[in-house]
Amino acid sequence: MLEVFRLDGRAAVVTGAGRGLGKAMALALAHAGASVVCAARTREEIDGTAEAILSAGGNALSVRTDVTDAAQVDALVAACLDTYGKIDIMLANAGAGTAHDPFWQYSDEEFRRALAVNLDSAFYCGRAAARAMVESRRGGTIINVSSISAFRGNDIFAYPTAKGGVVSLTKSQARMLGPHGIRVNVIIPGLVPQQPPKNDREAEARRRIGRRIPVGRVGECWELGPLAVYLASDASSYVTGSSFVIDGGALAGGLGPSDFAPRHSTPA
Amino acid sequence: MSIDADHFDLSSLKALVLGADTPGGAAIARAYTEAGADVTKLVSDREARSCGARSGIDDRGAACTQMAADLTEPARASEAVGEAVGAMGGLDIFVGCPDLFLARPVAETTGADLNHVMTTNFGVQFAAVRAAADNMRSFGRGGKLLLLTHLLGERGLPNTVAYAAAHAATQSLVRTLALELGREGITVNGIALGWMNWMTDRIRPDDEPASRAVRFTIFKRAGRPEDVGPMAVWLAGSGAGFVTGQVFHLDGGLTLHI
Repeated sequence: MLEVFRLDGRAAVVTGAGRGLGKAMALALAHAGASVVCAARTREEIDGTAEAILSAGGNALSVRTDVTDAAQVDALVAACLDTYGKIDIMLANAGAGTAHDPFWQYSDEEFRRALAVNLDSAFYCGRAAARAMVESRRGGTIINVSSISAFRGNDIFAYPTAKGGVVSLTKSQARMLGPHGIRVNVIIPGLVPQQPPKNDREAEARRRIGRRIPVGRVGECWELGPLAVYLASDASSYVTGSSFVIDGGALAGGLGPSDFAPRHSTPA
Repeated sequence: MSIDADHFDLSSLKALVLGADTPGGAAIARAYTEAGADVTKLVSDREARSCGARSGIDDRGAACTQMAADLTEPARASEAVGEAVGAMGGLDIFVGCPDLFLARPVAETTGADLNHVMTTNFGVQFAAVRAAADNMRSFGRGGKLLLLTHLLGERGLPNTVAYAAAHAATQSLVRTLALELGREGITVNGIALGWMNWMTDRIRPDDEPASRAVRFTIFKRAGRPEDVGPMAVWLAGSGAGFVTGQVFHLDGGLTLHI
């Protein structure tokens, strides 16, 4: 049974692999046996992720990439093909938060930037990967990354707007690419801090936020890894177009604060 | 085609509101009367042996008809719908508003609790809607079925397991019936309420976390009866003939909160 989760011999591209969720998922794919092309804008960070994989005995490569530039994303996939001869897994994880400006003062540039980094990037990554997967007739799997904010709205509205688009994109991709043996799914993380807390105050703030979540805490980056491995592997061979919320139960509730439970009433 | 007040005009339409003695049902019955419908209110009376229509004047001075039946029993509710339709001479709009809340942790929720809450909220709704749909089919003029429900049918909250399950069932009923009845010109929709100001059984005024739950809404207030009527009128009007199988949130933005 466990062999079905193995990724030995598979080639993966992970964007936003320099830190946080992307790094954790890149390490998880590598640990399951995949060769991983680590992409992000910051050279030192992706080198760090690739080094970690190599020093654990895996195969990795780092390719500096700005995912808002289609040509760079095409070059990223080409680098994977050049090095590993194929691409089996595209994990389009790169994204970025957006400005808190009031809605009526939001600039065109900021809105375009939000869509570019969070939604255009998923399109570019999916397109480049699918092109290679279709041409090779080997199929593959594409994993997008959204956010629970897409389902509830948020004051940084451009980010959830783009992330809602990622969920929608996933469903259409799954329909269009399924006949070519390509599965497409989306991971929808809840509150998962990208970095360890910088100080006690930040740690306390996270504990406070965590108390509002049904499991009583925020998520940890490594917890995204097993889901990424499941979706990348043959363990999910009949799963496509699906959304995987991983949020400690946040979306299951939301009708009141965590200490709200209607009090015991008399028998009806 | 221009949009005008006619799309909200329910004149000459016959409307039956089951659970018109609940605040939500009363608000809808009042709104339908104001929109010109011929309204019959079906209210709960566990002692009632037979319905017996009673004409009267409502609290706003409008003519209305009220009937009483034991609305904790699906079979009685079904009979009452049949009797009411017989007395009305037709049925264009049916609204079901049964609402019995129970707060109980799952470990303390007995099978009897579950049965009672499921039956009163869902079983009654099912039996009444089935009877209403049968009548609408027999008249062959289509109709509008509207089920009043609660957001707890799609969101978790501790201590609400039986009630939440019943309302999830009601919301499922909306979707299934819409498909079964659509070809006959019968639309089926739901209105899912959030925290309303009469729901002191779940948002008690003396319960501080409950007050904070109300502040989860965008408008920082609980809903009021007058917030409910207009949506029910829209859904019953001639402008909503292409709307079916949907459960609409009427919650002041409560569901936007994480």
